Amino acid sequence: MRSQKTRWLIYGLLFIAIIISYSITIQLKVTPSPFVKKTFEYMEHLPPQSVIIISFDHEASSLPEIKPIAQIMLRHVFRQNIRVIGMSLFAEGTAIGYDMLTKAAREFGKTYGEDYLFLGFKPQYISAILGMGESIRRIFPEDYLGNRVDSIPLMKNIDNYNSIAMVISIADGDRAVQWIEYAGARYDQKVIAGLTAAMITTYDPYLNSGQLYSLVGGLRGAAEYESLYGKLGGGNRGLLAQSVAHFFIIILIIVGNIIYFKNRMQSKGMK
Amino acid sequence: MRNKLPLIICLISGLIMFLQYFSKHPVSRAVYSSILDWWQIIFAFTLLVGAAAFVKVSLKGLQKKGEGKYKAIALAGVVVMPILAIIGGNKLGSPFLWVFENIQAPMQSTVFSLLAFFVASAAYRGFRARTIPAAILLISALFVLLGRIPISEYFSEWFTRIMFWIQDYPSMAARRAILIGIGLGSLTTAMRVILGIERTYMRGE
Repeated sequence: MRSQKTRWLIYGLLFIAIIISYSITIQLKVTPSPFVKKTFEYMEHLPPQSVIIISFDHEASSLPEIKPIAQIMLRHVFRQNIRVIGMSLFAEGTAIGYDMLTKAAREFGKTYGEDYLFLGFKPQYISAILGMGESIRRIFPEDYLGNRVDSIPLMKNIDNYNSIAMVISIADGDRAVQWIEYAGARYDQKVIAGLTAAMITTYDPYLNSGQLYSLVGGLRGAAEYESLYGKLGGGNRGLLAQSVAHFFIIILIIVGNIIYFKNRMQSKGMK
Repeated sequence: MRNKLPLIICLISGLIMFLQYFSKHPVSRAVYSSILDWWQIIFAFTLLVGAAAFVKVSLKGLQKKGEGKYKAIALAGVVVMPILAIIGGNKLGSPFLWVFENIQAPMQSTVFSLLAFFVASAAYRGFRARTIPAAILLISALFVLLGRIPISEYFSEWFTRIMFWIQDYPSMAARRAILIGIGLGSLTTAMRVILGIERTYMRGE
């Protein structure tokens, strides 16, 4: 019974802490990490009209963390007049990706088919990634809206990774690993990952070895990117709530351990 | 022959896929592209099989007391979403995208966000420094947690530095060891399957 009460107290306090931190606006000091800077610099120096692929390889469940990363990166590439081919290797990422890509493109007055397009979803990610190295239009004969890829101006002279400057995989799992292992290893394609914070350590070996060009991780990564871009957004807003939740968990761990050691000392004293 | 034929097909397919990696000959590229097409087609059929199995299981569950209503909702989703996409298309502002954005995405995010509450509760009840390894794990976790939040920068930049050190050295070493282990294991398994030593995909015969 006491344990149930404690549990509800923890849930209640965490809920209140998150609600309050979401309701107030405090701009936290964020120092951009080297990898976020590297990603930003890469986009800044990419020649206008270059073509990149943004793959929305995530589920709807991780949207609160993934969306700020995707939004700020999309805004940046459109500001730099970089052309975007959107796609998804996750069925759920398809509708989300199309929605985010279209909204960001409209903000900058971009034209579908000329400045951006969305290819949609392809099952069996390994064969899709490998197949795109041979011919993108063979894997995606039509785009998400049912247009023949051959008839889309953006796809003129683009048939495989040779014409793609960078692949950005916005992922909440290990789908970006497949981009690295198949598009990167076999076709020498540069890959950047936009990841949930929990996945960052999984990608560290690839990042350290240079197989992954760079990454933007979690709400903090999004907030860092936003500070470099010069316009705050979902990353900064969510970061305060996430920071408060982390801080709350740290306090819980410390309190839990104090109680544990106190009880242990008491039971030793009784013996 | 019933056993040998699948083994021969497996051996030939494995060898072709292995050898084509080193060849840029047009024939090799054509074979490779065709195999990738087949891979996609086979996988598309597995999706159909999955959907059919889901409908079958849900229909059976409809009659069961208690879970029937949940199965009905699941089946309604399977039926309604394709109908919305067929009738209204999948463009921005379509009913299909509206349902996805306003029903499915918030529901999934809600379920996922519950994790924060469970983590908080588990951290309090289970994350104890009972032994020296547990204490090391706990201290590392505290530094990583602190390093990930910008509040720590107001106190000291050392939290972030320590977090990066933990990620770059002990954590990376462990991850690399696991990845190399997985790689070697995959290679061995692939060789065993190609050479017909591993036959569990044929019911172990």
